[in-house]
Amino acid sequence: MTEALADFTLHRPESLESLAILRRAVPEARLIAGGTDLLPNLRRGLVDAPALIDLTALPDFAEIEPLAQGALRLGAGLRLADLARAPELAGPRQAVAEAARGVAGPAHRNAATLGGNLCQDTRCLYYNQSDWWRAANGYCLKYRGDTCHVAPQGKRCRAAFASDLAAPLIALGAEVALAGPVGERRLPLADLYRDDGADHLALAPGEVLIAVHLPPFAGLSAYEKARQRRAIDFPIAGVGAALARVTGGWRLSLAVTGTDSRPVAIAGIDDALDLPLSDDMLARIDKAVQKQVTPMRSTMISSHYRRLAASALARRLAQRLAEQARDAR
Amino acid sequence: MNAPARTATRAAGTRTPLVDGIEKVTGRARFTADLAGDAAVARILRSPVAHGVIRRIDTTAAEALPGVLAVVTGADCAHPFGVLPIAMNEYPMARDRVRYRGEPVAAVAAVDAATAARALKAIELQIDPLPAYFTATEARAPDAVLLHDDKPGNVEREVHHVFGDPDAGLAEADLVRTATFTCAEINHAQMEPHAAVAEWVPGREELIFHSVTQVPFYTHKHLARCLEMDPAKIRLVKPFVGGGFGSRTETLNFEIIAGLLARRTGGRVALVLSREETLISHRGRPETEVTLALGMRADGRLTACKAEVVMRGGAYAGYGIVTILYAGALLHGLYDLPNIRYDGYRVYANLPPCGAMRGHGTVDVRHAFETLVDRMAHELDLDPFTVRRANLLEAPLFTPNGLMVNSYGLPDCLDRVEAASGWKERRGKLGPGRGLGMACSHYVSGAAKPVHWTGEPHAVVALRLDFDGAVTALTGAPEIGQGSSTMVAISVADTLGIDVGRVRVVCGDSATVPKDNGAYSSRITFMVGNAAIGAARNLRTELAQAAAAKLEADPADIDCAGEVFSVRGSAQSQLTWAEVVAAALAVDGPITVKGSFTTPEKAQGGGHRGGAVGSTMGFSYAAQVVEATVDVDLGRITVDRVWVALDCGFAINPLAVEGQIEGSVWMGMGQALMEETRYAEGLPLHASLLEYRVPTIADSPPIEVHIVESVDPLGPFGAKEAGEGALSGFPPALAAAVADAIGLDMDALPLSPDRVLEALVAKRRAAQRAKRREDA
Ligand SMILES: Cc1cc2nc3c(=O)[nH]c(=O)nc-3n(C[C@H](O)[C@H](O)[C@H](O)COP(=O)(O)OP(=O)(O)OC[C@H]3O[C@@H](n4cnc5c(N)ncnc54)[C@H](O)[C@@H]3O)c2cc1C
Repeated sequence: MTEALADFTLHRPESLESLAILRRAVPEARLIAGGTDLLPNLRRGLVDAPALIDLTALPDFAEIEPLAQGALRLGAGLRLADLARAPELAGPRQAVAEAARGVAGPAHRNAATLGGNLCQDTRCLYYNQSDWWRAANGYCLKYRGDTCHVAPQGKRCRAAFASDLAAPLIALGAEVALAGPVGERRLPLADLYRDDGADHLALAPGEVLIAVHLPPFAGLSAYEKARQRRAIDFPIAGVGAALARVTGGWRLSLAVTGTDSRPVAIAGIDDALDLPLSDDMLARIDKAVQKQVTPMRSTMISSHYRRLAASALARRLAQRLAEQARDAR
Repeated sequence: MNAPARTATRAAGTRTPLVDGIEKVTGRARFTADLAGDAAVARILRSPVAHGVIRRIDTTAAEALPGVLAVVTGADCAHPFGVLPIAMNEYPMARDRVRYRGEPVAAVAAVDAATAARALKAIELQIDPLPAYFTATEARAPDAVLLHDDKPGNVEREVHHVFGDPDAGLAEADLVRTATFTCAEINHAQMEPHAAVAEWVPGREELIFHSVTQVPFYTHKHLARCLEMDPAKIRLVKPFVGGGFGSRTETLNFEIIAGLLARRTGGRVALVLSREETLISHRGRPETEVTLALGMRADGRLTACKAEVVMRGGAYAGYGIVTILYAGALLHGLYDLPNIRYDGYRVYANLPPCGAMRGHGTVDVRHAFETLVDRMAHELDLDPFTVRRANLLEAPLFTPNGLMVNSYGLPDCLDRVEAASGWKERRGKLGPGRGLGMACSHYVSGAAKPVHWTGEPHAVVALRLDFDGAVTALTGAPEIGQGSSTMVAISVADTLGIDVGRVRVVCGDSATVPKDNGAYSSRITFMVGNAAIGAARNLRTELAQAAAAKLEADPADIDCAGEVFSVRGSAQSQLTWAEVVAAALAVDGPITVKGSFTTPEKAQGGGHRGGAVGSTMGFSYAAQVVEATVDVDLGRITVDRVWVALDCGFAINPLAVEGQIEGSVWMGMGQALMEETRYAEGLPLHASLLEYRVPTIADSPPIEVHIVESVDPLGPFGAKEAGEGALSGFPPALAAAVADAIGLDMDALPLSPDRVLEALVAKRRAAQRAKRREDA
């Protein structure tokens, strides 16, 4: 029940090399960037971390770098407040800035980072509670217990991943750059995630996310989240959408966050759509989202609502982007 | 703001920044938790079980831990505490039985937080579970185990009040409608979590006690009772307090626990609760089900009302009896409605105890009432304003249940918000998904009979005048952010004819200030304001005598304005404040006077059982219009604008009144849109400010405030309460706006997106079914 922070040692490496050495030397250390996700969890006894490694002194960690042919590299240490007003994200990729603006409150966004947002823990009503609370409830599958209170029959943790930024970044085809003991690798952002609330990140031991790469993009994008309040709240459901010209029509990419243990890239939408979108097509988009997301009782608001909200947002965003595309022509 | 125009010769009626505002905005104000310093850290061990018999508590291992200074359990205090002397059934730490998850069972004091946490883990606790009940229905089931042996059916109190002839009234109506409304339990969510710093003074065997309380006097009493101490050996201090709203209107278990630990350690102990613990301490508005029948004539006249109210009160009595009585009593006093039947049931359940919360007792019932009136107006094709105007009271009067109404500004409130909102021109023309709704409300200006009836005056203010010429007002009225100290300063300054800045208000320390019942039931302005004026008059008399002697005039002819004394009708003879003070002190030295306020007997309510609750010297009245937009895809409601008018009798400080009205509307908005507590088998799912959703500033609409002044004959300068009356009108005005916007009638609060969307889906399905039936 106490919310006192346990003692820990803080390290602040200034190069990837010293980071790698530290991680070998103190394998149980946890990474910390803005700390807006990690610190509340530490206080609640959800993380055992005798040591923390602060990433914010790494070189080039907070840079936005334009790459060849209009691609873009976003350093993992970028603050959400910076992303929200970055001129590089004002045009076709504005969904990313919209998502950044929608995260938590202004004070959080001044500290919170892109990497921390994408690597944040999954969330559940039965998990994000004090130690007294969880002990009284017999703990849970995600941490220290053996039952999932959300789906007691299941063997898998159903905590939800609620990063706002993941959805638009996936819709825009982002890749992540990871640095680890065996060097650097690139991975589609969607593949960073696993469908297991207790183990949702595909990071190898010792790996750190150093940047997000966005491919060239000349279309339109948008992000919207359903939440009860206009600030602070995590997405009950968040939808990132991108619409771009392809041969023979338009390609619509949709990704949903907040409903499942991983962000859901919506599949099965035709590769080349005709504009304006027909009512039939909108209904199909709605159906596709409803079918592919699987929210569980992990939030105060009902899972049924989250499903309906996700599909309504997807339909609305698709229609809005299609109208914008028409107006732009 | 739309305050009445006034000449600026008096402070009363001019916008005055709060006298303690500078400390707060500069961060210099020290709240209870700021006073911890090097005190020992105290922590509470709470029951993990919702209902059960305590078989064993073994604290030996905890006590043996290095750094642990004291451990206490239920065995250390055999005295229950509570609000009403007839309903004290709560112990600071459970003895024998636990009745809700989170109930304190033991507590420790240690050298630091980590040691205290370790000590809690080292306490062995064994509880044999009993069946637990989380709804009023389960708790009332015939075979349910009793939470308290003396309360059959787990009903803490049943109330049955009949005034007039409700059946005959309904028979006379052109339209009778019945509906059941379910309002979720909510919490105050005040900014400052609970905290107490207690210091035992060894040798003198005294306790110096700092707490976040709204009722220092009652906490003082209960500490003395539970610790078996002479109250003279306790000094109770209320430092700056970060909001109350009723959460601290009764003594709370952690306060007694802090006292017990301080005595056991023989030193200073700080018990600072987490937000989760603060929410578990609760005392919020209970989950309430209201079944209401109303009769209305074709012209909008109400003929009768029958209300059945069931409240799920949690595990202990607290304010329960008062709340269930308020709910019925305040069916009266707003409209002219002679025939009212009220059946109320306050039910125990294995959840944290509910209590008093802003708008105590009336909010959920008012929501049901106004919402049903709105629907019936719609059915009869009447404008909601017309219906309200068809049912106005004419003051002065006594309501059928004996409530005294001497001033009644509701007609003005209606006119103001109708005009300001453009109701007549705009309603029905706002486009799809957008609507206007309105509702009225009222609240008491102080309970005419206190819960602990002692016969003593309700309020006493003492004034001290010393050689420095400063007037020190000593009041027990707890300043908790509501502006009471500023009100006292203005009342004293105006009565004496001096600057507000010359008055220094000292409050909240039992070592220096006279007893006051506390900050609840909107009593302070009315009662303490009158006491302050009384004290200032007494001081004025002494000063007038001194001035008269110097000016060789009759004391009755002495005036003081702008800190200058003069003889009425003569421009020549004048004395400065300093001259008169010097003269007045020359004889007997510094002056101390006092004033007191006692409620008139006739204000103390009807003679029926429970008739004292709801009784007051005067009601505030409010009307408001809410404009809202509904996003039908997401079920999300946006409050676009609010127009609100409140009759507070007279605005002693219009700036503070405006703030109180905005705050009331805002708090009503939280309840209407999103706030609710939820439990998983008695564990709070809402245990943080992330999950217990109060609106953010981004959710807050422009609120246009209108102040109406009916000038109450008994109020200080004519003032009544201003801090609660506008709250209960918001939820029904919003529900009406939603009905106006999308034709959807909702029977539940809050109108959260999931509830709205579900209701919309259900409505669409019903329409489809009806159509299929028609087609077939
Ligand atoms: C009240 C509140 C409201 C919130 N609302 C939202 C919301 O609406 N939407 C939302 O998306 N989030 C929300 N959050 C969560 C959090 O604030 C954000 O996700 C934020 O972006 C996290 O970034 P950070 O830098 O603070 O992460 P940190 O707390 O520093 O780290 C989070 C996790 O990521 C790991 N990590 C950090 N950086 C890296 C890296 N480069 N490589 C590998 N692992 C890394 C850390 O080890 C840690 O486990 C909210 C938090 C709070 C407290």
